[in-house]
Amino acid sequence: MIAEFWYKIKTSPLSLLFVIGLLLSLGLGTLYSIAQVQLQAPPNAFSKQVIFLIPATILMIFMTLVSKRLVHKYVYLGYGFIVLAVFLPFFGQKVAGTYRWINLGLPFGLQPSEIAKWVIVITLARYLSDHNLQMNNFASNLVPFAIALIPTFIVLNQPDLGTAFVMMTPVIPMLFWVGARPYHLFLIVAPLFSILAASNVLAFSIWAAIMAIVLYMAKPQLWHGVAIYFGNIFLGLIFPLLWDTLRPFQQKRVLTLINPELDPLGAGYQIIQSKTALGSGGLFGKGWGQGTQTHLKFLPVQESDFIVSVIGEEFGFAMLFIMLVLFSWLIVKMIKLGLNASDRFSGLILIGISTIFLAHVFVNCAMSAGMIPVKGLPLPFVSYGGSFLLSSFMMIGLVLNFGREELD
Amino acid sequence: MLRSTNTVSKSKFWILSGFVIFIHIILAYRFFQLQVLDHDEYSRRAENNRIRATSIPAPRGLILDRHGEIIVDNYPTYIVSAIGSEIVNKEKNYKVISAATGIDTATLKKNYKNYYRNRFLPTRLAKDLTIGQLSRLEEAKDELTGIIYSQFPERIFNPKIRASHVLGYLKEIDQSMIDGMDENSDYQYGDLIGWSGLERQYESRLRGDKGVTYYQVDAFGREAGNVEGHGNILPNPGNDIHTTLDVSLQALLESEFKNKKGTAIVSNPRTGGILAYVSAPDYKPDLFTGLISNQDWKTVIADTNRPLLNRVTNGTYPPGSIYKMVVGVELLEKRLVTTDWSVFCTGAYEFYDRTFRCWDENGHGKINLEQAIVQSCDVYFYQAIQNVDINDLAVRSKQFLHGAQTYIDLPTEMKGRVPDRQFMNKLHGRYGWSKGAMLNLSIGQGEILVTPLQMAAYTNLLATRGKTYPLHLVQKQDIMINAPSIQIRTWALIQDYMELTITQSNGTGRRSNPKIPGLRIGGKTGTAENPHGEPHAWFIAYGEKDDDMISITIMIENGGSGGEVAAPMARKVFQHYYGPKSTKLVSK
Repeated sequence: MIAEFWYKIKTSPLSLLFVIGLLLSLGLGTLYSIAQVQLQAPPNAFSKQVIFLIPATILMIFMTLVSKRLVHKYVYLGYGFIVLAVFLPFFGQKVAGTYRWINLGLPFGLQPSEIAKWVIVITLARYLSDHNLQMNNFASNLVPFAIALIPTFIVLNQPDLGTAFVMMTPVIPMLFWVGARPYHLFLIVAPLFSILAASNVLAFSIWAAIMAIVLYMAKPQLWHGVAIYFGNIFLGLIFPLLWDTLRPFQQKRVLTLINPELDPLGAGYQIIQSKTALGSGGLFGKGWGQGTQTHLKFLPVQESDFIVSVIGEEFGFAMLFIMLVLFSWLIVKMIKLGLNASDRFSGLILIGISTIFLAHVFVNCAMSAGMIPVKGLPLPFVSYGGSFLLSSFMMIGLVLNFGREELD
Repeated sequence: MLRSTNTVSKSKFWILSGFVIFIHIILAYRFFQLQVLDHDEYSRRAENNRIRATSIPAPRGLILDRHGEIIVDNYPTYIVSAIGSEIVNKEKNYKVISAATGIDTATLKKNYKNYYRNRFLPTRLAKDLTIGQLSRLEEAKDELTGIIYSQFPERIFNPKIRASHVLGYLKEIDQSMIDGMDENSDYQYGDLIGWSGLERQYESRLRGDKGVTYYQVDAFGREAGNVEGHGNILPNPGNDIHTTLDVSLQALLESEFKNKKGTAIVSNPRTGGILAYVSAPDYKPDLFTGLISNQDWKTVIADTNRPLLNRVTNGTYPPGSIYKMVVGVELLEKRLVTTDWSVFCTGAYEFYDRTFRCWDENGHGKINLEQAIVQSCDVYFYQAIQNVDINDLAVRSKQFLHGAQTYIDLPTEMKGRVPDRQFMNKLHGRYGWSKGAMLNLSIGQGEILVTPLQMAAYTNLLATRGKTYPLHLVQKQDIMINAPSIQIRTWALIQDYMELTITQSNGTGRRSNPKIPGLRIGGKTGTAENPHGEPHAWFIAYGEKDDDMISITIMIENGGSGGEVAAPMARKVFQHYYGPKSTKLVSK
C-alpha cells in the first residue's frame, strides 16, 4: 500500500508544489518581518502560520491519496453536510459582527465556508459529468447554478460577500467547459450587470450597447431577444427608483453588505493606507522590515487581507510582478491539467479549483490596489489565516490527485 | 463513475488561460501604475503619514539688572499637551493621565477647554509635572493617543521685585497677528511673543531661534522613535539683556508703594539710565507666564485700579507746582522779573471776579522768585504769569519735555498735553477763555497734562543743566536731548532755588533730605489738584555726591501733599543710595 501511495505521489504534477513553496516563503518572510519588527512575541501570525502548515500538509497528502472513486461516490453527501455546516455558525456566537466561525472547543475557530468552496466545485463536477446534459438548452444551466446558490445564499447572510463571490464564480467556467453556450451564461449574469451599471449613466449606456451587440450576434428568436433586452434595461431603470424607496438605514445595510469594512469616517481609510504603502514601495521596495506604513501600523489587517501592500512596500513592484507570474503560471497549469485530464469529472474539478484561486488572487490584489471595494479575501498561500491555509492545501491535494495522468 | 470522457477542445483551454493571463496583466499594470508611475506622490504621502515635526521653543534671553543680578530667568517645566486631531478617546486619555499624575480629570478637562486653539495644535492639559509624574505617564504611553509631553522654558522672576510694567509679559500669537506680520517671520500660531514692556521692546534680541524635533508616529498618533535622516534642530537661546535697573532700589520703592497708586522713577541724569521704575498697582509678573487662561485675563482686566496701566509712560496727570521751574525759567529768560522783584502773598489772589488761592491759606508774605519756588508760593506766579504769552510758555514747556516724547525703550508712551493758543481756542472757543486760564497754568494746573516719565526727563534736564540723554532701561542712546537754550545764570539760579527748597527750614522739600554729608540735593514738590479726589502728590529731585548723581520722580495718585507724602519717600531713596548702610556696588 505504501508503494501504491508512493507511486501516486510520484506521478502527481509535483511542479506545482515548487511554485507553491515559493509563494509560501514569500508569505512567511513577510509575516516574519511583521512579527520581528513589531516585536510581537509568539504566538504571532508567523508562528501560527508555521504551525498550521503541519495539519495543512497532512490534509494535502490525504487529499492527494484519497481514492477518486470515493470522492465521486460521497460528494453529494459531503455537499449536504457542508450546507448544514455553513448554517451552523448562526447558532454560535457572533465574531466581529459575522457568523462565519464554528467553535469546536479548539484554540482556533473553523470556517466551514472555506471547505464549502471546493465541495461545491466537486458537487458541480459530479453533476455535470454524470448527466449528459443538453447544454444547448438554457434550462440545463439552472440546476448547476442552484447547487452553488444554496450555500452561497447562506454565506451571503453571515455576511461574507467575498466568500459568496468565490463560491459562485466556478459555475461559469465549469459550465463553459462542458459546453454551455456563452450566450446563456451571459443571460444569467446580465441582470446583475444591469443593476450594477444602473448607478452611472455612461456605464449603463455602454452596457446597453454591449447587450445589443451580444444579442445581435447570438441571434435569438426575435421576441426572446427583445424581451431580454428590454427586461434588462427596465431592471436597470427601475433599480435606482427601488433603491430610493429604501430608508437610509436600509440602504446603509445593503451597502455594508457589499462593502463590509465601510469606514464610518467615510474616508476609505484602509484603501488610502494600502495604496500609500504600495505606492511608496516603488520599484524595488524599502527593504525587508523597512516598511514604515506597515510597521507603524498605518496599514490595517496587514497579515491577511492587505499582505500584498506589505510585500509591495518592502519588496516593491519587482516582487509583486514575480508573484503575479507565479500565480498565473499556477492557475494556467491547473487549467492545462484540466484539459489533459482523462475524464470529465477530474477536468471539471481542476477548472473549478483554478477559478477559486483566480477569484482570490484577483479580489485580494484588486482590493489592495484600490480597484474594488474592500472585501476580506485572503491571498492563497501568502496571507495569514488557518482555515484558508488548510482549505488551500486541500485544494492543492485535490489538484495533485485529479491532475494525475494515469487512469484510476 | 468517471465514465464520461474529457472531450474538451483546446480552444476552451486557450480562452480560459487567456482570461487568467488577462486578469494578471490588469493587476500587474495597476501595481505598476501605483508603484512606479505614481511612486513620488505616494512616497510623499507616506512621509506625511509618519513624520511629525514639532517646534522646540528656544529659551528666551535673560533680563539682568545693572549689577548682573537676574531679574527674569527661565526654568524648564514639563507640560502635557493633547493634539485634538490625534486623540482617539478623550475620556480614556483623561483617566490614564489622571491615574498617572494624580491630577483630577475635571482639571484636565477644564485646561483643555481653556487652552484649546485648534485641533492640530498641542493643547496644554497640565504643567509643572514632576519627574515622577512624567515617568508614570511614560509607562502608560501605549494607552494614550495624541498626547505629547514636552519641556517648556517658562519665565521665572526674581522674587525680590515685580517691575511688571517694565518687564512686560508674553502672549500667544493669534491668527490676526500672524496675518499682520511680514511673510519672512517664522512665528507660528500659538508661539509666545513679547507682548508688552521690555519683553516686547527687545523681542528680537530675547527670542532666539526655535528648534525642530522630528519623530515618527504610528497610525494612532503615538510616538515611535526618531526619524532616520531627520536630525533634530536644537533651539538657539535668545540673547540676554542687561538693564540699567537696580534690584535693591526697585524693591525699596515697590515696598513703599504697597497699597498706593502712583509712580516712581529713579534714573541717572548723566546717562538717562533708569535704576527704578515703579507703576503701582502692578500685577504679579508670573501671572502671564506661559499660556494665560481666559479666567486669569478677565480678573486682571476687571480690576478697577487698572493694574495693567503703565502709569509711568501712559498715565497723564497735571504736574502741579513742579511745573514752576518752567515758568521761572521763562520769567528769567524773557527778563519779565528780576530776582529781587517780589509779590505780597496774602493766601489768595483776586483776579477780576475770581479768587485764586495759594496752597497756604495764611499767605507767604513778601515773596521773590527764590522763595516762590522754595515755599512754592502760588500767588507770586499768579501775578508774574500775566506778562507771559501762552505760546511762549508752551514752547518753553516743550523744551523741558512737557508733552513731548521721551523716546524711552518701551513700546508705548503717551504724549500728554501742553496747551497753546490754538489749543485753547479750539477747546473753549476764541473768546471762551481768558488770562485766568494762564493763572491756573502758572502753577501746573488746568489744561496741562504730563506723564511721570516726562517729569523724570525734566528733572534730569534740570539736574544736568540740559546735558542729559533720553531715559532708557537697556540701550543708552547716542544723541543727547536737545538742551533748552537758556543762559547759564538761569540754570544756576533755578538749581539754587531747587536746592534751597530742600535745605531751607521752610522749604517744601525739606522732608526729602537725609542729611548725608557731601550730598547735594535739589528738588521741588507738587500737589496737583484733580477732579478725582485728593490731590496727586508730586516730588522731583536730584542728588549728587562724589560725582554720582541720581534723580527721583515720585507721583502718588490722590496721595495728598507732595511735600508731606512724596518727599519722605525720596529721602528713603537717597538714604538707600548714598547712605552709609548702603551695600550699593559701584554703578556703571
